[in-house]
Amino acid sequence: MQIISKGLTYTYNKKSEFKKTALNGVDLSINEGEFFGIVGETGSGKSTFIQHLNGLIPVQNGELTVGDFNLSPKDKKEKKALKKRFKELRSKVGMVFQYPEYQLFAETVYEDVAFGVKNFHPELSESEVETKVKKAIETVGLNYEEVKGKSPFDLSGGQKRRVAIAGILVSEPEILVLDEPVAGLDPIGKKRLMSLLHTLHDTGVVKTIIIVSHDMDEISENVSRVALFSQGRAVKVCTPKELFLSGDDAVKRLGLPVTAYVEDKLSKIGIEINSNFKTKDFIDKVIEKYREIKG
Amino acid sequence: MLSDLTFGQYYEAQSFVHRLDPRLKILLLIAFVVFVFVANSFYGLLSLALFLLLAIIFSKVPFMQMLRSLKAVLFIIIFTVVLNIFFYNSETETILFWIITKEALIFSAFMAVRLITLVMASVLLTYTTTPVALTDGIESLLKPLKIIKFPVHEIALVMSIALRFIPILMNEADRIIMAQKARGADFESGNLFKKVGAMIPVLIPLLISAFRRAEELGDAMDSRCYSSAAKRTKFKKLKLGYRDLVATVVSLIAFSAVIVLKIYGVAVI
Repeated sequence: MQIISKGLTYTYNKKSEFKKTALNGVDLSINEGEFFGIVGETGSGKSTFIQHLNGLIPVQNGELTVGDFNLSPKDKKEKKALKKRFKELRSKVGMVFQYPEYQLFAETVYEDVAFGVKNFHPELSESEVETKVKKAIETVGLNYEEVKGKSPFDLSGGQKRRVAIAGILVSEPEILVLDEPVAGLDPIGKKRLMSLLHTLHDTGVVKTIIIVSHDMDEISENVSRVALFSQGRAVKVCTPKELFLSGDDAVKRLGLPVTAYVEDKLSKIGIEINSNFKTKDFIDKVIEKYREIKG
Repeated sequence: MLSDLTFGQYYEAQSFVHRLDPRLKILLLIAFVVFVFVANSFYGLLSLALFLLLAIIFSKVPFMQMLRSLKAVLFIIIFTVVLNIFFYNSETETILFWIITKEALIFSAFMAVRLITLVMASVLLTYTTTPVALTDGIESLLKPLKIIKFPVHEIALVMSIALRFIPILMNEADRIIMAQKARGADFESGNLFKKVGAMIPVLIPLLISAFRRAEELGDAMDSRCYSSAAKRTKFKKLKLGYRDLVATVVSLIAFSAVIVLKIYGVAVI
């Protein structure tokens, strides 16, 4: 499913004194199969944009299509048709909000993960639901037999988050959108979660992954393309490397990944590394350069 | 969504009404409510309505904003009006549909005006007074109760915390609703029981988060050695000024008009 947004505009509390423009003409397309990043300062419109993707926020102005879903209906008839397909859309575009573990509610992990399937597919039998739940819990790397009967509130922070993500994956989405997926996790938890996302992407469990992040290391390490949001617009859409070399003011305020920072310092003393800013490539190139200098 | 509710929000502005002492505003509101019920003629209500209109003008709160706040209580107003039209007891002849009398129509219109002025006056108080000032005012007004060992300060603190947390919890509820909608939750269709049941996935995380926040706040207060027993000073001391005198005089005029009309004037019917 391809995402195409043209001139997407959104204002909160449009009719009230407290109105606030969040999106101001977003032009952006994200292809099927991408591992895509969205960066930007607080209030730049990232969250508002992603909430459009599964129809949680209705399109006010502009055009937005996700696969064959037209989210910017022109007339009442189209609006009605879209409303009927909301569930289908939401099962195909999975959305993991910030701190998703705060949205757990059920008595057992099983019940919580099953919530989504039961909503989207009320026609499934209990055994069919169980198969899907089991698959989702195992996909996020938890032991199904061990956790299924536990209260989600008895798990560790990292495990809770995995359960919450399983609760989204269970509906087998084609696109997975994650808002700050690793915020608040410890370094090991972060690494594990990011590698889980790569596994999902590489094995084709989820076709497209979109992550919103403040962490530039995470962006440079993981995504193939990135959009920089500023004042309600996608002002730059490029590879992470191009973004970090652009010298844009907004990029400077967000900071650089460690690799880009070190490369910049080295180039000032005449050593050019020219990696793609991913840790592995960076280290390889540094070693190569070191050998070259040593002769 | 929930954040569309405008009932009981603060409207930022620099105005005559905003700068009034919160204690005076609370007392005036109480008096206003009493006089709305004392007034028994349209003229009496008219003088109160004019007074309210004056207050709204001087508060710089846009009139549309005031009207929008009625949306939350529209149902109650309509309900009252309809009930009164059909069940007002009078012996005169009917003019509509065999059961509705002229008196009933007049009386229900009167009730509607009463309710509208009541709601608008209360909303004006919250629009023009920050929650902090409001609780400061209430605390100050309740001070005499300290003599009978009533925990005035604690109550005021609980109130200010509760008020402070309403918008935060509303935001949180919005976010949780969004997250559960993303998992296919349906809050709109079905009968009442179904709708209440659908709220469980929202209410449980909301409660948990409220407790979490309460604990964090308690820890933060403890770590700063907060104690209600200590004699506390205030950053902003409440002080009466010339504005308060003007406001009092104007409101006394409106209130005495009601009394005069009650004694010498005609009742509503």
